[in-house]
Amino acid sequence: MRMAALAVAVFALASCGPGAQPLTPAQSAQLKPADARLAGLYEGSCKACHTVADSQAPLTGDRTKWDLRWKQGEDVLVAVVIQGKGQMPAGGQCFTCTPADYRALVRFMAGQEK
Amino acid sequence: MSTRRKVLLGGAGLLALGAGGLAGRRIWLDREPEPPPAIDPQGRALWSNWCGLEHAYPAARAAPADEAELAALLPGAKAPIRPVGAGHSFTALVPTEGTLLSLDRLSGLIEHDAAALTATVRAGTRLSALGPALAAIGQEMPNLPDINKQTLAGALATATHGTGKGFTAIHGEILAMRLVSPAGEVIECGRDQRPELFHAARVGLGAFGVLSAVTLQNRPLRRVRKTVTLVDTEEVLRQWPDLASKHRNAEFLVLPFTGKSALIVHDETDEPVRPRGPDQDADTLMSLKALRDVFEFTPGLRQRVAGKLLEDIPAEVAVDEGWKLLSNERPVRFKEMEYHLPIERQVEVLREVIARIEREATDVFFPIEARIIAPDDAWLSPFYQRESGSIAVHAWYKESHDWMFKHIEPLFREAGGRPHWGKLHSLGRSELAALYPMFEEANAVRRSLDPQGRMLNPFLRKLFGDA
Repeated sequence: MRMAALAVAVFALASCGPGAQPLTPAQSAQLKPADARLAGLYEGSCKACHTVADSQAPLTGDRTKWDLRWKQGEDVLVAVVIQGKGQMPAGGQCFTCTPADYRALVRFMAGQEK
Repeated sequence: MSTRRKVLLGGAGLLALGAGGLAGRRIWLDREPEPPPAIDPQGRALWSNWCGLEHAYPAARAAPADEAELAALLPGAKAPIRPVGAGHSFTALVPTEGTLLSLDRLSGLIEHDAAALTATVRAGTRLSALGPALAAIGQEMPNLPDINKQTLAGALATATHGTGKGFTAIHGEILAMRLVSPAGEVIECGRDQRPELFHAARVGLGAFGVLSAVTLQNRPLRRVRKTVTLVDTEEVLRQWPDLASKHRNAEFLVLPFTGKSALIVHDETDEPVRPRGPDQDADTLMSLKALRDVFEFTPGLRQRVAGKLLEDIPAEVAVDEGWKLLSNERPVRFKEMEYHLPIERQVEVLREVIARIEREATDVFFPIEARIIAPDDAWLSPFYQRESGSIAVHAWYKESHDWMFKHIEPLFREAGGRPHWGKLHSLGRSELAALYPMFEEANAVRRSLDPQGRMLNPFLRKLFGDA
């Protein structure tokens, strides 16, 4: 069991970008999208869970948590956000977000803004 | 890792390993429900509530930036116009093929009076943001619900409540509100100004118009000590009226099939801050699920094993400002039915609820929650003129909740219970009119504001009886 957990952890770290470090909730809470409108949507919805450890949601900007998810493909992640899955409620509490907004927010939270 | 967490995870994990066949069955049963399409054939994006039970494809979505924009928008908005807060209601209050209206941009503190301890806030403010905003001006709401993701408007609309002897639900502590009617008229109301509107629309189900601002009667910011103790269910049932009176806030969560309950109390204190530790509730919940997965068909054994795993677990204590402790993250999604009963019937009905679940619904693993709420005078408040004891039952979002309607709701109804407006129930206008002495008066006020029923979706038409 321990070996399996270790293997998962090693795989997770190996799949992160070079030098990726876990973020604390406080570090995560410092981040916000550069675009003011998107920042407003983020602050009013996603941030309530994605900067709080107890919510069990991957912390915004924490590549050690996001990179494996990102590998599933951006379209898959956007569909999960709109439809909900597991602990992620559909729409992620942002009911005025358009699909394009969700895409931009996923990129930002996953640390993949180009 | 705390003792409670280690014991539960370790014990239940070993048991789960020893029951491969049952676990295999569960893997099949635990598969993710098939979600509705993200985009419908007309290109409209999905809206779904938090638990995933309700969904819709609104033709339009609106998020006015201020009250003036809201007032300008409402007269021409495509009906049904449905305000949405956090989407935490389990019932179909929100689904619309017309306009989905979010108050997310109507957020934040407008003004406050330090001497009177009042604060006027925009109605779309989330409770999670309201706590720190009020703390910054030395105030706090007298009480808070279990979850704080809701908007203030949504919490008021559904009579969202906490627990505590002498503490009303949130709507019991408001002094005034500004409502924008479906015609776009901005109306200010309070006890001395348009009182009929204040009483009718304070718990308004988002059917009277849209709230833009609310004035709260708050209290000085205080520190509380939160204690969570595992106790015998029989003991807490016997002592409940005394326990409820003894603590500022008291509630308990019956862990079915275990003989145990988690008693949660908050009391004011001047002790130094002792921040709450990492949330353990989600792990505990999934450990109870693991126990259920293995012992679902042997309830006697399930109780004995649970009793062993849960014994000698120390109390959890935290000391901090109330807004940091009274509400919780609830990362595990669920469905819920809650009724508010006359306080004198609560323990008797709860005993029967536990018995029925343990006899008829052996796949339940979520706790049963018991709280108390003081009376108020809002016409559509489930606590209208009566002190209430609430009982809530839950099901995991992936699992069936039919048992609630079949086995539990009849008990609640027989006891004269009134349903939580945001939680599962089967009632319509005739049953509601019998439970609420001022139901028809409230409905008349609603009709005067919205004669064409532009705020009503099919679910609300059933509640208010409009064809």
